[in-house]
Amino acid sequence: MASEMLRPRVALFVTCLVDAMRPRIGFAALAALEAAGCEVVVPEAQTCCGQPALNSGDRDTAIDLAKRAIAMLEPYEHVVIPSGSCAGTIRSHYPEILEDDPVWGPRAHAVAAKTYEIMAYLDEVRGWRPEGVTLPATAAYHDSCSGLRELGIKAQPRRLLRAVDGLQLRPLAGEETCCGFGGTFCVKYPAISNAIVEEKAAAIEATGADLLLAGDLGCLMNMAGKLSRRGSSVRSFHAIELIAGMGDGPAIGEKA
Amino acid sequence: MSDFGDRVDLALADPILKIAVERTAGTAEAKRALAVDAFPDFEDARDRAAAIKDHVIAHLGAYLEEFEANAIAAGAQVHWARTSDEACKIVIDICKAAGARTVARSKSMLGEEIGLPHALAEAGIERVETDLAEHIIQLADERPSHIIWPAMHKTREQVSLLFKARHRSPHQEETIAAMAESARRELRTQMLGADVGISGANFLIADTGAVCTVTNEGNAELSLVPPRVHIVTAGIEKIVPSMPHAVHLLRMLARSATGAALTQYTTFYTGPRRPGDRDGPEQMHIVLVDNGRTTMREEGLAEMLRCIRCGACMNHCVVFRQIGGHAYGGTYPGPMGAVLTPVLDGLPKSRELPNACTLNGKCQEVCPVRIPLPTLLRGWREKSWREGLEPKTMRAGLGVWAWFARRPALYRLASGSALRAMRVLGRGWIRRLPLAGGWTDHRDMPAPEARSFMAQYKSGRRR
Amino acid sequence: MNAREEILSRLKPTVPGPAAIGADALLIAPERPFVDATALEEGFVAKLSLPSIAATHDRIDTLADLPAAILRYCIEQGLPPALYLPPDARLSGCDWSPFAVHEAAATEEPVVLAVARCGIAETGSLVFETAPDAPMLPNFVALHHIVLLEADRIVAHLEEATLPGPQPRAHYWVTGVSGTTDIEGTYVRGAHGPRFLHVILVRAALPRR
Repeated sequence: MASEMLRPRVALFVTCLVDAMRPRIGFAALAALEAAGCEVVVPEAQTCCGQPALNSGDRDTAIDLAKRAIAMLEPYEHVVIPSGSCAGTIRSHYPEILEDDPVWGPRAHAVAAKTYEIMAYLDEVRGWRPEGVTLPATAAYHDSCSGLRELGIKAQPRRLLRAVDGLQLRPLAGEETCCGFGGTFCVKYPAISNAIVEEKAAAIEATGADLLLAGDLGCLMNMAGKLSRRGSSVRSFHAIELIAGMGDGPAIGEKA
Repeated sequence: MSDFGDRVDLALADPILKIAVERTAGTAEAKRALAVDAFPDFEDARDRAAAIKDHVIAHLGAYLEEFEANAIAAGAQVHWARTSDEACKIVIDICKAAGARTVARSKSMLGEEIGLPHALAEAGIERVETDLAEHIIQLADERPSHIIWPAMHKTREQVSLLFKARHRSPHQEETIAAMAESARRELRTQMLGADVGISGANFLIADTGAVCTVTNEGNAELSLVPPRVHIVTAGIEKIVPSMPHAVHLLRMLARSATGAALTQYTTFYTGPRRPGDRDGPEQMHIVLVDNGRTTMREEGLAEMLRCIRCGACMNHCVVFRQIGGHAYGGTYPGPMGAVLTPVLDGLPKSRELPNACTLNGKCQEVCPVRIPLPTLLRGWREKSWREGLEPKTMRAGLGVWAWFARRPALYRLASGSALRAMRVLGRGWIRRLPLAGGWTDHRDMPAPEARSFMAQYKSGRRR
Repeated sequence: MNAREEILSRLKPTVPGPAAIGADALLIAPERPFVDATALEEGFVAKLSLPSIAATHDRIDTLADLPAAILRYCIEQGLPPALYLPPDARLSGCDWSPFAVHEAAATEEPVVLAVARCGIAETGSLVFETAPDAPMLPNFVALHHIVLLEADRIVAHLEEATLPGPQPRAHYWVTGVSGTTDIEGTYVRGAHGPRFLHVILVRAALPRR
């Protein structure tokens, strides 16, 4: 049997969006983490990391939610999140907003240091690859901005996806260009957001790929929703769904 | 609908604007990428550029005094202005004292910032804009839409019509080269005949008292050498300690702005005409302008004073690429403009600019002086929230959400009800969702699964 | 308080210590393009040929060969043999009889000669300073800008082109011709100033100024 060292106790923070809109992503993350030899715990008190408050300027609420999340996540060896932007909030922004707090500042740094985006965690910390997963399809991968620029997530998902038999990644023009989601941005400025995602959807369709993959559900809902409105046949998944062998299920927006 | 919202709607409804912005910004983006790839250690060079600017900003007072002393020793006259009004008054007074009827102006964003074109018009002084893009803007009676390419929003077809209506001997052939030639014919004599030449400064060199301008057209030199008087209006943050510091920043500026290794004409002016010189102005005046910069330094925006006005942030901004520069409504557009405009025009008038951003971080990634633009924009959002400037609906919505987010058990109940409500609207894709028109006007919304992750997990689902 | 006093009063240093020490430290080993110091002339000429500069060049042995080289250029370009000469005593020894020489540059001067102090291999730039025998404006009103440069006076990097001590009235670097991308980002040569740049590299050193 694996020792404690080799079997870390990992808190899975599924994110509020996955919790409500696409639980499959949470179960895919759970499955992949277990396959990678982790003992996975799902803290029951989890709600939201506070990013909407942070990005809306409501710093007090962001700080309050950050403290709750920190206290909840402290007992675990690692914290893993199937979202670059939520992981980025904990890793980059919790220490920032609590910097001047002598008690919570160090606690924020400690939790930040052990928090990972799921694909970065599986690839870099666990050195794990999916085994025996097959999905004959072509896919375009969109690099969501927070994961890319706050956490340096670029090669990790591609390395994991290359281990999926039959899956072929197609280059996506502007793969690092924002899709126009931007959290509350898409609600506050829907017309600008629409203009941006319209171009993104056209670029995705131009790849001729069967699937659109990304690592953040917010961006995926934005792009998939636009692709659907355009009548596109491209199907959208969180990359972890494919990696966990759940790519044969319903895509985002398909009836379960 | 807000003013900003109106301008955005106007911009998005203009198919020509999109084409025009894409042609120039797209080219700039591609050329910058090539230049950066070809440069050894560009990331280290960005660190150094930021460090140079931070050093200057930390010691700004001492460097300004050093610059002033050296500029005066070289025969220039140095003036100080706290505000845009003070700066304009100084310039107008110098023009009047020189009996100036016409001024040739070499593009300067600071001049735009302080409202110099308007002040000159008020004073009855004829203004000749000599940068090709500024000339186009002047003919069209518009404001710049970009800090490097002020006429970025205009297509060749629009420029052609403008020149044909306004130039004395306009182009015959419908090519961009012929249009540029038409402007050359129109402007040459006007430049050489001006009484005063007005420029900004890309850099002020503290240890020599020199003022550096960079242009690709050579219009600065043609505007500043012939007139009797040269007036420089410069933001106080333009100081660098010495020429080698300027050189480092010049390398970064040209590559980030246009992808060139250096601008075609890079000139350092030190004082007026010397004995025996056959050309050059008899007087050189330098107006050092604060206009909010000391406040920025005091109030947490010191990093913004690093800005060398290259325009890379806007060229790479997904929002700017859709709405162009005019929608921002201030002197400076794009990400850097969204940080600066609240300083210059006040937050109540410009609170939407820091909000109209996806915080995707691309601007920070390409900034040659590593300005943390998303962080500064978030800072404005916080100030706006604290001061109660954010709309009531937003505050109320976020308040309700935060109340539940602090109470996990109630949060589960509430999200469970919300999911059930959404499920009523359909399975698969929902094409119209009440209270979420902003979303479903443009895209479909995936219907959620019947139960949340936490609900399913608690009832034992594991895969 | 007047404006100067008020601005300076708000700009007290935010870090301790004298500014100069920190400033020098920022210049150690700057990142910059590689330049082969053993092949400065080749490097410089290669830059002149880049599309972004698109200058032509010629080589002569001594200053006496200059008029013939310029005449060659005028014939190639279909230009009448007329040019503006700066009042530089070093040029007076040449035989300018084939040319109509202009002592003052016109508003539209077709051909202008200038003598550069040095060239910069890093960028293909030409370096000039104003002086009584080196006016500045002719170099900007020219359509064809012809520049004489001593081949031995090519430096590697921009920093080496700067002058120590008190500065001339204007010190300027010319890198190519007057260009613009102001209409749709499309590059056009000859926006306001020269449309053509021709560099004549002279092997022998010029007489002292």
